[in-house]
Amino acid sequence: MSRRSDLLRYLGARLALAPLMLWLISSLVFLLLRVAPGDPIDALLGPKAPAAARAALRHQLGLDQPLPVQYGHFLGDLLHGNLGVSQASKEPVTSIIQGSLPASLELGLVALLIAAVLGLAVGFSGIARPEGKVDLAGRLFGIGTYALPPFWAAMVVQLVFAVWLGWLPVGGRLPATVLPPEGSGFYLFDSLRAGNLQQLQGALRHLVLPASTLGLLLSGIFTNALRLNLRRALSSDYVEAARSRGLSETRVVLRHALPNALLPVLTITGITVASLIGGALLIEVTYSWPGIASRLQEAIAQRDYPLVQGIVVVVAALVVLVTVAVDLLVALLDPRVRF
Amino acid sequence: MARLLAGLLALASLNSACAPPHAAGTLIVASKARIDSLDPAQASRSGQLQVLSALGDPLYAITADGTIEPRLATGPPLLSADRLRARIPLRRGVRFHDGTPFDAAAMVFSLNRFMAIGTLGYQFSDRVQAVRASGPLEIELELKAPFSPLPRLLSAIFLTPVSPTAYRSHATKPLNDRFVGTGPYSLSFFNGQQQRLTPFPGYWGARPANGGIDLVTLSNSTALLGALRSGEVDVLLASGLEIDHQQALSRDAAAGRLREGSGPPLSIGFFSLLTDQPPLNNVALRQALARSLDRATITERVSLGMRPPLRQLIPPSLPGSDPEAWPAYDPAAARSLYRQAGYCNGKVFSLPLTFRSDIPSDRLLALTWQAQVRRDLGDCLELQVSGMESTTAYDQLGKGALTLFFYDWIGDYPDPENFLAPLLGCEKAEGNRCAKGNSALSGSFWSAPGLDAELLRSSRIDGPERARLLRAIQRRSAAAVPYLPVWLMAEQAWSGRRISAPQFDGSGRLRLDQLRRLPEARR
Repeated sequence: MSRRSDLLRYLGARLALAPLMLWLISSLVFLLLRVAPGDPIDALLGPKAPAAARAALRHQLGLDQPLPVQYGHFLGDLLHGNLGVSQASKEPVTSIIQGSLPASLELGLVALLIAAVLGLAVGFSGIARPEGKVDLAGRLFGIGTYALPPFWAAMVVQLVFAVWLGWLPVGGRLPATVLPPEGSGFYLFDSLRAGNLQQLQGALRHLVLPASTLGLLLSGIFTNALRLNLRRALSSDYVEAARSRGLSETRVVLRHALPNALLPVLTITGITVASLIGGALLIEVTYSWPGIASRLQEAIAQRDYPLVQGIVVVVAALVVLVTVAVDLLVALLDPRVRF
Repeated sequence: MARLLAGLLALASLNSACAPPHAAGTLIVASKARIDSLDPAQASRSGQLQVLSALGDPLYAITADGTIEPRLATGPPLLSADRLRARIPLRRGVRFHDGTPFDAAAMVFSLNRFMAIGTLGYQFSDRVQAVRASGPLEIELELKAPFSPLPRLLSAIFLTPVSPTAYRSHATKPLNDRFVGTGPYSLSFFNGQQQRLTPFPGYWGARPANGGIDLVTLSNSTALLGALRSGEVDVLLASGLEIDHQQALSRDAAAGRLREGSGPPLSIGFFSLLTDQPPLNNVALRQALARSLDRATITERVSLGMRPPLRQLIPPSLPGSDPEAWPAYDPAAARSLYRQAGYCNGKVFSLPLTFRSDIPSDRLLALTWQAQVRRDLGDCLELQVSGMESTTAYDQLGKGALTLFFYDWIGDYPDPENFLAPLLGCEKAEGNRCAKGNSALSGSFWSAPGLDAELLRSSRIDGPERARLLRAIQRRSAAAVPYLPVWLMAEQAWSGRRISAPQFDGSGRLRLDQLRRLPEARR
């Protein structure tokens, strides 16, 4: 069988498993939410609402129905693409996700770009003299940024650049005096499309600190991955063969060693993207970034069952899609991969 | 790194050159509260109520000095002889933000809508049987029983009228992202993190002192503090700020770098004691515990003096206040009571104390009391401190799972009835045990013969007689110690030096319409 048909079979199997995986995840979340202590009625009405009012709200939200009935409704709605209505705000869950997911994705993508550029640059910088000062500094950078507690790092960056120096805003996505651009929810894209420089500048300035912090924290992964894989590649037989053919060291590194060393980095990028789809909670909370992670946290605190379920299902679906896409990309780029 | 810093510097200079200008007189007010809905029927959280207080008008308002003044009403309710009917005359010439005239039909529509779909609908429907228009500008409320705090109930901003035209298709469902009321501001933009309020040109009352308000949400205390200090926002509301940040801002205000304002203290922090199960079913132990709490030390160490000690369940600004209802800290008397219960002589009373783990000041309070007890009564009492997330704890509280639990309460409208009934009310009492009702939901499960009747009576009478009865109820409760009041809390706000000092009304809402940019001082 050809490699192409193998690839298609592999893709088909992965995509066929996706609904099963989503069903398992959504069912698990449905059950865990109801098993976990805490009552949405307490979160909505407070602990001292009269019993009659509590019973009325419980009935209104359908929480007085037997669990299998609630589960049946949940699955039925999910199959029809209906994620339900938030118990707390009575807003459709889809609208809430549409409002907050682009914020997380915008932050994640810019942070990933910063992390990749910074991390790969630092990882590559020490290659001329392994174990030299630059290489050692790169290693320390990789370990240090990876080990920094995100909440602490974000607060320090916020205090220095926003509070003490006052260079950049402390949080949010736009200045209070600027209304958000209409469109996709990706403010950079929307403001560019609308040609509104005030919105674009506001969005950029608000993005700098959270994206830089997140990018810095993620960059160590790229640094370490590239350093290790590049060193391994540079000591491999095919690189020695290239050198023995009289190729320059620059050509050996850039044409032979680097592409092979970047393949594992691509896998790491995929995993990082997948983890960022669900938002970076600590960064979002510190910088008041209205993303999907902080929305999920609020929903959990309020025991807003439909919203928690909806966010988890959508994020899980996106993670599955990204994982499959990255696997395919790696398979296409690396002829050594077998299925 | 140098290039990075240079880039940031360039961005900073770009900021000062191109920062979006404030509209004339527009102010930015920040808080931690995310607003999911601006429908009064959905409003139950302080952030929502704060915004609604600028967008809508209640029938009555409580002023900063505690007096009740008519707003959309033109006078106090006119009660029938049996006090079961209340006629309320309404203001003429008022219009909603969409131009719809305000009249009795609009008020009836709004109140009926609130009773049908309001999250706090029970607050109104438990007292009011029916609402009808008794004239073009007069409504009549048919009460289920005489209810003396009626004007205070009608001061609640969640009862603000909404335009029947704008809400026609939302009579039985919420309208979250719009609000069309009669208040000094109209809503010109809404999302969860940002709301823009514009002065309503057709407002019947005094125009706001500013050119509009931008309300923004910042989700953590450091960001809020930093935003005010860096001048990114003009005014900051205290709710959600950590206590040391509040203290830092108060110090700034004392040094003249900021201005500060406080509302009336209408929130109480207290322990709930599980009285129907061992060990706290022993009243002597509860009385001993009441004398083991050094409020002065706790207030100073935990709230840094910002939350005054409290020895009653009713905030002191309300009728029926009895500032010394609960016993004061008295370790000698406490030791004597512990001895009577069989402790102290080589036997330490070990008591689990639960606090809300997601409220930083609660943890500090629990640990401070634990240390204070260890210092003063270590041979008699040991507090075993543990945290539990709020929503979980509220659920467990009503199930009788928490022996000693600290939390707080603020009434939905400022009246003693809204403090005593939710804590002491009981639908089904068995001796001193409340099997069903508010007291059980509040975690104490305590009641007393005739107590519920006294509570009911207190909501039917008025004046000095009511105040006497409320004090008697408090004394009776204090003797049994189902709760242990600790401190009082008030809403606070800070503004920049060039903004007027924040002012609050008697319901604890920041008067957004009073905020204004001050003229720059001459050099």
